[in-house]
Formats: sequence, structure tokens, C-alpha cells
Amino acid sequence: MYAWIAALINGILVGLVYGLAAIGLNLIWGVMKVINLSHGAFIALGMFCAYFIFHFAGINPFLAVILILIVGLILGMISYFIVLHRVLDAPELSTLLSTYSLSLIIIGLGTFIFTTNPRAIDIGLGSIGIGNIYIPITKILTGLFSILFTIVLYVFLYKTWTGKAIRAVSLNRAAAEFMGVNSTFILSLSFGIGVGLAMVAGCLIAAIFPFTILSGAVYELKSFVICVLGGLGSPIGALVGGLILGLLENICALKIPVGYIPFIEFVILVIILLVKPTGLITKR
Amino acid sequence: MTDNILEIESLESGYGEVQILWGINLHVQKSKLTTVIGSNGSGKTTLMKAIMGTLPTWNGKIIFEGIDISRLPPYKRAEQGLIMVPEGRLLFHDMSVYENLEMGAFTKRARAHLKKNLEFVFSLFPRLKERLDQKAGTMSGGERQMVAIGRGLMGSPKLLIFDEPSLGLAPKLVLEVFEAIEKLKKEGVTMLLVEQNVHLSLAISDYGYVMAEGKIKIEGEARDLKENDEVKKTYLGI
Repeated sequence: MYAWIAALINGILVGLVYGLAAIGLNLIWGVMKVINLSHGAFIALGMFCAYFIFHFAGINPFLAVILILIVGLILGMISYFIVLHRVLDAPELSTLLSTYSLSLIIIGLGTFIFTTNPRAIDIGLGSIGIGNIYIPITKILTGLFSILFTIVLYVFLYKTWTGKAIRAVSLNRAAAEFMGVNSTFILSLSFGIGVGLAMVAGCLIAAIFPFTILSGAVYELKSFVICVLGGLGSPIGALVGGLILGLLENICALKIPVGYIPFIEFVILVIILLVKPTGLITKR
Repeated sequence: MTDNILEIESLESGYGEVQILWGINLHVQKSKLTTVIGSNGSGKTTLMKAIMGTLPTWNGKIIFEGIDISRLPPYKRAEQGLIMVPEGRLLFHDMSVYENLEMGAFTKRARAHLKKNLEFVFSLFPRLKERLDQKAGTMSGGERQMVAIGRGLMGSPKLLIFDEPSLGLAPKLVLEVFEAIEKLKKEGVTMLLVEQNVHLSLAISDYGYVMAEGKIKIEGEARDLKENDEVKKTYLGI
């Protein structure tokens, strides 16, 4: 019984950060119809940023997260101009290839510099115990921060001029330009926010799980499953999809060997693509 | 000094390597309604794209309020007060009517007048006031055109360009749109109207240009154009 409740709580907390990781992918797709194959690489980069900030400056990931968001925003905006701007109007294959090559560059350099040794951040905040259930405080913080970032993104997209401009560009780029919106800037900013959120998710995940430079790929695949679950182009859907995946992983792990879980996830992915390709949560 | 707000001098433009516009000369006077008429494929829409900057200017000048804007991107032209109600409306269909109007006032210049312009739009189209929270994509064709015109007015336009506003609308709604344009004319809004509906356009305009094969064929006071034999024969079918 206790094991089930613990799995439920863990599933929700981990699911929230999975959702946050997927939101970055989702936003970039929504605004510029680009599947960002460098998403996982940026998640891994976020993990390593958190690791080095923790080890060299002694700042824990929950404080470093703002700095990492800014680094991600800038890196993403620069990447947009180098990798995407010229191929944005070309057929999808071009953007897939260009973001994939960006991924290869980041992972390649990362492997060369950091090697593929596993690393972990141990902040040592301990656990909260209720009865026989112990939940690490880092996991609780991770879940809370994920909700916080999602809310901030929502407020930004729906209440600020720049956020509304992002939505306008995603709905009709030509019309937004006629309204005086610099669509090139908005596209690069959106890619920056997507990358920033991926790095933030990486930073938060690094606080709870060990990782290597290759770990990003795992979370990128999870992000794809989540986007399919929640429906591409809907941030709230991504969060719900993340929760479903987090719960599934933690609850299945009670009965099934962990190695089978990715298999189950992809079976679900395929089933949803077959049955309801628009995602479980469709936009209004 | 003239009181021309827009002066186009020997403008050449086109798509890729295909030249469409062959030296267009066109002037729009302040507080006047100028119209460009012509049949399908005469280059009207290409001309609008070149004026707004979605197509590059190959040769010639586009002078807006005394400044050559022919090298500026579309959003900078909008910042100058050159606002277009585009062909096919191009609304933000998943945004509410209010958000669409608000996006119209995106530029710093327009944001300062957001409240005043909103009142003006409501006085022109009272129906929009009741529909503020409705998604623009769920409205009827005529209502959508109202939102598109309203959105254009929210930008505090110094020159408001209409690209084929009657396209795809039922005859009754076409009349409504033209009534709205006439009202705007009385308010002193400077406008450039591009239309296939030659009869209606000439009826409400001050000055007109007739385009064919990427060139201006005839120009003159709208009332003179209506009596012009060539215009009558080719466009009015009289």
C-alpha cells in the first residue's frame, strides 16, 4: 500500500518535470512548425550547467535555474540564426536535418569534453517522511518549480505584448508582420524560450537523477511521447501528458522490470498515433 | 510640398525572376480615398505586396511621408503608419476578437491610442463589442471582415490599405464593407483601395488608377474615370 502511494506521489512530481521538458519542444513546434531534434542535447547541456555551477560555485540547481534559463534563452536565440533562419521556409526535412546536426555538434563536443561518465548532484536536502513514505525534498522542489515555470510561461504568452506577438506569429506570420511585429525576432525568441525551458528541465532533472551527456536523448524521446499524448501545440496538454507518463513509469515499476518501461511507453505512442493522432487533449 | 502621403515612382517588382510590375507611378493624397482597379492578374495584389514590403522593390522608390521606405521590412513600414487590411482577412483565428484588435495596436505609436481607437472601432462596428470574447475563427465572413478592418484601424493608420475587401463576401455584405469605407472617408482617414468591384470602388473614391499588365493604363478623378469610354467598355461592361 505504502509503495503504491509513494509511486503515485513520485509519479506526479517526476511527471511535472517531464511535462516541462516537453513544453519547450511543444512551443517551438507550435510557433515555427519545427521539430527540434536538438531538444535532448539542450536538456543534457542544462544538466551539465547545473552540475558545474553546483561544483564550482556551490550554487544549488534550484537557485541556478534562473541563470540557466537566461543562458538557454541566449544560446537558443543564437542557434536560431545559425541553424534555422535560412531553412525555415524550406521543406521540413531541412529543419529536421539542421536541428539534428546541431544536436550532433553539442553531444559530440560534450562527449569530448565531459566524457560519458555518469554524474550526479547531491544537494543533500534529505526527505520528508509521512508514515512509511519518504519523498526526497529535491523531488518536491522539482515538481513545484516545473509548475511555476509553466505558469510563468502561460502568463507571459497570454498577458504580455511580446507573448501575444508570439501567439500571433504562430497563428499567422504574415499578418503579424503587417501589425508591426518583427517576426524574425519573435521566431528567434520563441526558439530561445524553447531551448531555455529544455535546459531548465535538464537542470531540474539533474537534481534528482544521475545523468551523462547522452541522457538528453532519453528525455527527448519522452518529450515526443508526451507531445503525442497531450497533442502538439498545447502547453497544458504537455503538462498533462507528462503527468500521465510520470505516473505510468512509477506505477509500472512496481510490477514490471524497469527495462520494459520504454517499450511500454512506445507501444502507447504507437497506439495513440493509430487511434487519435491529434493527441488526447485537443485544443478547443 | 505636396500633400501626398504616398508617392510611388517607377516601381518595378515581381516574384523570383518573373517581373510583374513595370514602372508604376502612383500617388495617394492625404484624407482622400484613392483606388486601384483592374482585372484579375493585372498586378494589383503584387503592387500591394511591394508597397507593404512582402515583395522586394527591384527598382524605383516608395516614398511614405517624404521618406523612401522601399528597403524597409514590412513591420517597420507598419511602425511608420502604413497599415494593410490584407486580402483574405488573415485574422488570428485562434485568438479572441479583442485580442485580434489588440494585436492591431501592437506598434508603440498605436498602443498610446489603444482606448481611443477601440472606441472608434466600436462606434463603426457596434456588433464587435458584443463579440469581444468570441474566437475570430468562428465568426461569419462579414464579421471577420469587420474584425480585419477594425484591427487595421487599431494601428492608428496614416494610410490604410484595403486589398480586395469584398472578395468572397455575399453581395449584401459587400455593400456593408463599402458603407464602412465611406464612413471612414467622412472621418478623414486616408485610404488606398484595391478592388475588382470597379463600379462600387469608383462610386466612393476620389481618385483612381486603372492597372493592366503590370502598368498603370489610365488615371484620373474617379468621376471622370466612370465616364471614360475605355473603362466603361473593359470594366463596367456598358
